[in-house]
Amino acid sequence: MIVGEQKSIAELQKIIAPYKKILILGCGTCTKTCFAGGEDEVATLASALRLACRKNGTGISIEELTIERQCENEFIQEAAPAASRNEAVLSLACGAGVQAVARRFGTTPVLPGVNTTFIGVLERQGIFTEECVGCGDCRLALYGGICPIARCSKKLLNGPCGGSKNGKCEINPDTDCAWQLIIERLTALGQLDNLRTYIPPVDWRSSNSGGPRKLVREDHII
Amino acid sequence: MDNTCTPVITVFCCTHTSTEGSPLFPDDVSGADLRIIRLACTGMLKDVFLLRAFESGSDAVVVLACPEGDCLHSEGNIRAARRVTYTRGILEQVGIDSQRLVMCNIAPGDAEAASQALRHAAAVLTDTDGGLS
Amino acid sequence: MSTEPVSRLQHILAAGAFAVTAECGPPRGSDPDAVARRAATLKGCSDAVNITDNQTAIVRMSSIAGCSHLVRDGLEPVMQMVTRDRNRIALQSDILGAYSLGIRNILCLSGDHQTFGSQPDALNVFDIDSIQLLHAVRTMRDQGLDMSGFQLSCPPRMFIGAAANPFADPFEYRIVRLAKKIDAGADFIQTQCVYNLERFRTWMRMAADAGLTERAYILAGVTPLKSAGMARYMAEKVAGMDIPESVISRMSDVPGEKAADEGIAICLETIAALREISGVHGVHIMAIGWEEKVRDIVESAGLMPRPDVP
Repeated sequence: MIVGEQKSIAELQKIIAPYKKILILGCGTCTKTCFAGGEDEVATLASALRLACRKNGTGISIEELTIERQCENEFIQEAAPAASRNEAVLSLACGAGVQAVARRFGTTPVLPGVNTTFIGVLERQGIFTEECVGCGDCRLALYGGICPIARCSKKLLNGPCGGSKNGKCEINPDTDCAWQLIIERLTALGQLDNLRTYIPPVDWRSSNSGGPRKLVREDHII
Repeated sequence: MDNTCTPVITVFCCTHTSTEGSPLFPDDVSGADLRIIRLACTGMLKDVFLLRAFESGSDAVVVLACPEGDCLHSEGNIRAARRVTYTRGILEQVGIDSQRLVMCNIAPGDAEAASQALRHAAAVLTDTDGGLS
Repeated sequence: MSTEPVSRLQHILAAGAFAVTAECGPPRGSDPDAVARRAATLKGCSDAVNITDNQTAIVRMSSIAGCSHLVRDGLEPVMQMVTRDRNRIALQSDILGAYSLGIRNILCLSGDHQTFGSQPDALNVFDIDSIQLLHAVRTMRDQGLDMSGFQLSCPPRMFIGAAANPFADPFEYRIVRLAKKIDAGADFIQTQCVYNLERFRTWMRMAADAGLTERAYILAGVTPLKSAGMARYMAEKVAGMDIPESVISRMSDVPGEKAADEGIAICLETIAALREISGVHGVHIMAIGWEEKVRDIVESAGLMPRPDVP
């Protein structure tokens, strides 16, 4: 899932300052799962912003709506009437959703309420970890299912650096050393020899470095 | 806070701490207008319930939950505590004194403990000026 | 490794002498004479001087510039090159430029993460890792090809080095990693500074068992301790450092004003022990901020004068 965190109230107040009538649009998929932008978060934020505006002595009218997800027109169009009733849309979707909604409602400002961070998983309730950076050329088979590009702070492909301490990365004692994990996993799989081979440099063309990407599936286009 | 107005306090409690028949606040201890909302379990508390209480005119909000380690629904009071802490953070960001949101763990039907929580909330209101007015 | 020595350092090692290399950090400024001033004390008591590359991710004068100043002043530099800040285009470009400026030794590293340094807000690069860089430099030297397969006019013929840390986690994997670096192109290895001789000896034995000591010159790192505080700081805060309690005690048991002398004594004992270990071809003295002591250390260790190279 895509993970993100809601922006601070202070920052959001600045973002919505020019508007008197806004729609807070939530997303029922990724940002709901990471507690940044689902229906509950929309309700909480709307209430908080109303309280904040009342404290400031400024008025604001906030409409609340959550759709299944904001990355598909099929769902975005359900928000069209609400969007047209308001001066701006504060979207609590990920960055992709915000842009899709902005594209759809071209003449209504669509503002981001969430800082989108990473592609990750729910490690356990309340904890989300980054697992994939979308390099476009997955090599997880070689590394026992642990990605050195996403999870090694230096994107090393040929083994750990000298900074690993007690299985943790040099940059943060809370961050696992991906290479420690890879070595342990490959050992468990009996595949430690994978690491003896020289791995050549990545071809970054398949990543965002090669330019923004597009996937066209002719077989699904009528 | 305007001293001529009666303060409004919203109380959220669970059906375990306050049963239908026996009133939790037999005496008027706080001098406040009380709005009492009973939930099946305080674990069902949402941040927005607490915030809407402030929006609709409450000067303080009190959450009464089961004793620690003794929630009838096992973790409900722990979840409630998390929501209260989180919402206090929102209150601070919004400019409202987070001490106006009070949480207490009380034994079922313990009217004395409930009254104490109310008195505490009322005291906060007279000490601070972090409300909406 | 190439048959004909391409640098003074390689010459000395190939002749079987016990080499001495030292280290020098460039200034946080643009003074062209700063490097020469710092390195002046190292002239004549070291065979080559490493110039660090924005070490600890703190912005300093570039290694290539620092090395170029050393060449101008008649010292032999080892250009350290990290993959943290430059992509493969810039790295190859700098290698070509370095060779053109008379630089003949290169140490290929990943580099400390930028969160440690003066610009934690910078985008990190890590386009390639240190092993891929070793491979690239060797291909440039031995085949004259750059990473795109282009035939270079006047290929850079460098003596190629890598760093190794015998004390880092995971221990079992360290020799596999050393082998990979040597396979990829490392002719010489400079290790993290040694305080735990037992553990170092074990690592050297494992390296010898894997045939690695025959294929690359290992130079053991040493850093003289200035104070008990420094010893404790390094033991606790610096990743991949192993300082035994006995060493820390020696430093803290002597009175404050004697600590530096004790640190030098420990350093000299370590060098003497390292000279006895089979497969150790030299010592790399990292006396950052204490460069003036290097001459004394080399002298007291009986390693003066340094060999001449034709």
